[in-house]
Amino acid sequence: MAATHADVHPPYLYPDYKSTRLRAPAQPLVRVAPSPLETTGPVFPKQFVKESEADLTTWGRSAPLGEKMVLVGRLLDEDGRPVRRSLIEVWQANASGKYPHPVDDHEAPLDPNFLGKGQVLTDDEGRYRIVTVKPGAYPWQNHAFGWRPAHIHFSLFGNAYAQRLITQMFFPGDPLLAIDPIFQSVPEAGRNLLIAELDLEQGLEGVALGYRWDMVLRGPRATPMVV
Amino acid sequence: MPKPTPSQTVGPFFARELLWKDGGIVLFPGRGDRITLTGQVFDGNGAPIFDALFETWQADANGTSPSGDDGSRPYGYGRVSTDTEGRYAIETVMPGPFKGPGGETYAPQISVAIFARGLLKALHTRVFLAPLEVIKDDPLARAIADPDRLKTLIATLDAKDPKVYRWDVRLRGAGEAVFLEF
Repeated sequence: MAATHADVHPPYLYPDYKSTRLRAPAQPLVRVAPSPLETTGPVFPKQFVKESEADLTTWGRSAPLGEKMVLVGRLLDEDGRPVRRSLIEVWQANASGKYPHPVDDHEAPLDPNFLGKGQVLTDDEGRYRIVTVKPGAYPWQNHAFGWRPAHIHFSLFGNAYAQRLITQMFFPGDPLLAIDPIFQSVPEAGRNLLIAELDLEQGLEGVALGYRWDMVLRGPRATPMVV
Repeated sequence: MPKPTPSQTVGPFFARELLWKDGGIVLFPGRGDRITLTGQVFDGNGAPIFDALFETWQADANGTSPSGDDGSRPYGYGRVSTDTEGRYAIETVMPGPFKGPGGETYAPQISVAIFARGLLKALHTRVFLAPLEVIKDDPLARAIADPDRLKTLIATLDAKDPKVYRWDVRLRGAGEAVFLEF
């Protein structure tokens, strides 16, 4: 991550998020230009992604429990250009706040009709659209009475390895954002960038709520040094 | 200019979502010397990190950046998680050296990104598959300068198996690996 983006990116060490204490590097990062290799990146073939994988609600025999939603948005670079034909991977808890993962010990029910995993390629304007259910909040053991706000995980590739980004999208008006050290680790100027906005007309009338969330990746080349 | 989207942790729950069958076998269209890069990832207490996502991106045997795919997956890209002992393994080909825009030579290397619970941002670095004397003119080796720190990025050939390169990664504290910002 470029030093020039310290205004939006979290630090590595954020003691309120306890797991950072033993995993954050203590030494300063070494600043280098991306190598010619790192200004290119993996190219995912069209057939890597099935169209059905953009809809997380059709995986089971019947509809999953929860509040159905459509999420639309664009993937852009810092110059505002669309990032085209780029892989977006998403994953999330079910409507009860449970992941189908062996180390998730939250005593909430699994939903046999919801796997919580999807992927999509952006189109020629950088647009994406996924259909899912709103994930539930869930408790975690970072601190007493800790609960993670509802969130959807995103894994992004851009068009260059140097653009690789994994992040989380949150929901507007969630009171748990104020007590979540993972969200709060982001400097104030960056926090709103992680929150989707309600966009009802992107939803399905009488069926699903609409949300919009745009994502911006750094440029593929070196970020200019700030003196 | 729009601001970049902030990074957040990959969290502990990604194994079923992000891992692929054979994700640790890196595909290339051409030939090359098959090698395995393997080692363990440790935290600041020296405990193995059992829930890291370990990704690689590298040039082919001729030093060319991969482009394209085999019809199912991209060339040149590896993705695995560490196991209960913090161990990862990537089967790939020996990357060739390549040139930078100013004519500088990049020594044989693999670009690595590590994601994990407790990492609010990716850790980016490069692991060298050649000894110190061969990499000394590499742009990153020059930028690091300190040989003790540089050694944290040099994989060593296994004494018993010349196809295996060993590289352990310490995220924090004694022997902490050098990590990069682009």
